[in-house]
Amino acid sequence: MREFVLILPEVILAVTLAFVVVAELTYHGEQLRFVTVSTLLGLVAAFVQTFTTYRHVPVAVFSGAVSIDGVSLFFKLLSIALAGLSIVAASHSEEIPPGRRTEFSALVLAATLAMCLAASASDMLLIFLSLQLLNIVVFFIAGYGKRSLFSIEAGVKYLIFSGVAGVLLLYGLAVLFSITHSLNIYEAHRAFMVASVPRTQVLIIFMLIFLSLGSQVAGFPMYLWAPDVLEGAPTPASGFIVVATRMTGFAIAIRFLIGVFAQSSLTNGNWEIVGDFNWPTIVAVVSGITMLVGSFLALRQNRAKRMVGCLAITQSGFLLLGILVLDQVGVAALLYNLVIELFAFVGIFYILSYFYEQLHSDNLNDLRGMLNQSVPECICLVLFLLCLVGMPPAPGFIGKFTLIGAIVRHQWWGLATLAILSSALSTVAIARLAFHLIGDATLLKKFQSESRSFERKAFLVVLLVPMLLAGLFANSVLNWAGKSLSYILW
Amino acid sequence: MENHLISLMLVAPFVGAVLQALLPAGTGARTFGRSTARLVALGASLISSLAGAALVFSMQTHTADLQMIESHPWIGAYSIQYAMGMDGLNAPLVLLLSILFPILIAAEWDRPRGERGVHGLFLILQAALVGAVCAQDIFLQFFFWTLSALPFYFLVGVWGGKRRESAAFRLVVTSAIGNALLLAALILIYHSIEPHSFLIQDLAGGKLVGKTFDFLGYTLSVPSVAFILIGAGLALRIPIWPVHGWFTLVSEEAPMTVVVALSAITVPVGAYIFQRLGYSLFPATFLHFAPAIVVVGAVNLVIGTICAIAQRDLRTLLAYICLVQLGLVLVGMGSLSSPGTVGAIYLQLVMGLGIAGFGIFANSILQRTGMSWFFDEEGKRTLGGVALQAPALATVAALAVASLLGVPGFGGFVGSTLVVIGSYSVSPGMVVLACVATLLSGYYLFTMYRNVFLGEASSELSSAKFQDLTFGERAYLLPLVGCLLFFGLYPKPLIELVRPTVLTLLSTIK
Repeated sequence: MREFVLILPEVILAVTLAFVVVAELTYHGEQLRFVTVSTLLGLVAAFVQTFTTYRHVPVAVFSGAVSIDGVSLFFKLLSIALAGLSIVAASHSEEIPPGRRTEFSALVLAATLAMCLAASASDMLLIFLSLQLLNIVVFFIAGYGKRSLFSIEAGVKYLIFSGVAGVLLLYGLAVLFSITHSLNIYEAHRAFMVASVPRTQVLIIFMLIFLSLGSQVAGFPMYLWAPDVLEGAPTPASGFIVVATRMTGFAIAIRFLIGVFAQSSLTNGNWEIVGDFNWPTIVAVVSGITMLVGSFLALRQNRAKRMVGCLAITQSGFLLLGILVLDQVGVAALLYNLVIELFAFVGIFYILSYFYEQLHSDNLNDLRGMLNQSVPECICLVLFLLCLVGMPPAPGFIGKFTLIGAIVRHQWWGLATLAILSSALSTVAIARLAFHLIGDATLLKKFQSESRSFERKAFLVVLLVPMLLAGLFANSVLNWAGKSLSYILW
Repeated sequence: MENHLISLMLVAPFVGAVLQALLPAGTGARTFGRSTARLVALGASLISSLAGAALVFSMQTHTADLQMIESHPWIGAYSIQYAMGMDGLNAPLVLLLSILFPILIAAEWDRPRGERGVHGLFLILQAALVGAVCAQDIFLQFFFWTLSALPFYFLVGVWGGKRRESAAFRLVVTSAIGNALLLAALILIYHSIEPHSFLIQDLAGGKLVGKTFDFLGYTLSVPSVAFILIGAGLALRIPIWPVHGWFTLVSEEAPMTVVVALSAITVPVGAYIFQRLGYSLFPATFLHFAPAIVVVGAVNLVIGTICAIAQRDLRTLLAYICLVQLGLVLVGMGSLSSPGTVGAIYLQLVMGLGIAGFGIFANSILQRTGMSWFFDEEGKRTLGGVALQAPALATVAALAVASLLGVPGFGGFVGSTLVVIGSYSVSPGMVVLACVATLLSGYYLFTMYRNVFLGEASSELSSAKFQDLTFGERAYLLPLVGCLLFFGLYPKPLIELVRPTVLTLLSTIK
């Protein structure tokens, strides 16, 4: 019974999902509006339940297959918040037509369930299965606009990439299993430490798993799906996809890479690598290239959604910095950044979806003059973007600063230079977008009548306020992230 | 004594800016919402200014200690503090901010469209610059200094002229690069001392001397690299030749009041940050680089003067005057003699006042005639004879020009004379250079004055009635003119406030 109580957030999500599916079968017409409300109620219940679970951490349930600890609860809270915000954002958009909102809610709920499972999975099979569930659902979400060629392309592209990534992960896990003879990652870690594994074998295992996770977080060389999928998917769905896939990737990366390939070092709050295979260098190279590639690509884009997709790649490169330093400060900085980017990405795609509805385009040339047309939306868009790339003094800057500070502590000066360079390049990319936003107001068609002006502003405030507070009270958020790490089962 | 006047000075404009966004909108010219919003903006700015004035007047003279200290932890994990304080170095800047911001807000009183946005952004700018001037923690200072770049982007981008897109773009790109360089310096400094700290007092007094770090196989000295990064980072935010192209473009395209906020307020604050960090963090490096700083200042002075002579537009003339004045400030700063340094600090204040006077009378002319140029492209006079129709405006302009020229009895005289006296210790050649520059500034300023205010009115002007200063304009120009005269005739109290700090800092350098 206790085990059941501990996974109650997932259970609530599953029940809500079932309810939404049943509701879709039985209700028609205008009653559909209730789906958004009931989904949100389910999410709120799961959110609250996750909070109450904090009393019991850390604990492993279901014979060690599921770890309920600080990190998993942290990611669960973020996932559920993301789902709630995305559903509200989608309900303001015409790209998800009212008649099909039920499907969208069901898909988002299923993806959230997968994210929550992945966040607490400590069994290799469960990790694999929850990732597959997430990726299949994301495939449906990306291909949701089935009348649009771009959306179909996005869905298929995501399916192919996640399929390849899944196979790589499975091979990696299989080779690891052949050495450790255990599917539980903690037992695998202990077996891995005792067995003296040849370097090449560790290299193969690590590369297979890391490439798979790299695809999940859109890191080099598996980043190619990100711009296409984020451009093609319906805009509110892009906001969900970009955070959901990458966040889950990082949750697994933290638990798996650090849990299996590193061990607690003698100094408090640090880890050191197991054996003599220096994998942080690989992560460092990948992170550096990802940051540069992302920011250079962002400079070249002519479509706003694609550009944000490229910025997401840069962001992934930054977040990888938090893992490779192998200390709690770095991982806490990573978690802090995830909090900020959750609000930033949802906000960016929310505003872009509003523009898309008005103009039926996200081409930079078509966005010219928007600043005169809808001032609050444009200012918020620029703020969210600046926050995302961490231009000072936006809250994201503190996140970037903590990450760069973490690598400088370990004397990675070259990588720190790359990070600052790519930050400046991303700012220039955003300046390009902002340049077009100013534009010439006379060229722009007059907008349709404003039906949802108040709701939209209220939702923007809902997104902006927590983000700004997270910057102002960075200390508390960083403490929370740090505490989450200290309540983790390694 | 713990008071919260600095925090009040910081928070009041922020609250005012938020209220600008929240107050109910009015549509007509004289609706209740509109006038309330304007009064709230002016009130918030004035509260901040009065707090600033009260702070400066209650400061103790004859001491170099930091006063009015406020300190609270902000991000404990990185030992970042909310630390504010004032001493002789930043007191003149606090005065400058306090005097100019209410005037700027008043000058934007009757903007036909979007005056609320302009007021809100000016208030954010005021808060950011107050923070940058008073911060005693370099992270906090960097935070506010970079925040001050954002309002300019929107001010230029939304309310600018025809080429506002490229002006705003260049503004953002140069400041992004400058800020990135500053950030690099910040991280370098933070990690080079144990325990890690951002507080200026922890870093001051040569704590960084001899620290090195390894970069791509080379061993580099922390103070030199950080000093160069800070210098380059700030040079991209204030107009230093040869990276001043964005500045002249912005001067041409931005609304006149925004140009004033940039050249009369932000530029002195940037110079102050360079001085504060250079003097206290890197005394030995500053001594080593002092001749280079003087040369940069002299180049700015010469190029600014030569370019100013060729200008036929009040906007670009203003931009090059700013270059000249900044050159003088740098010469004084790099002279490392007591009169030169005091003069540089004094000049930061009075150059701001003089340029603001210049910009605001140019704004009045622009509003009345729609022209800021006094010769058109064929060399024909477009303005002229304004003095006959608008004697009050001509008087204000004459006073601002006199101060920029350094006529005795005006603020500019005290500042530039002290700088010239101080620069004699560097080389007598500098004195000659500064004197020639002053003579030439007499030439271009009087040419401008003659063509705008004296002589016969041009054909466009003589037909239309040129209105003299209105009551509102007189009301906000009076304090500005008063301050220009006051700081010229009675500089003693302010110099007594500045001198002890300067002497203490100079003694640590030499």
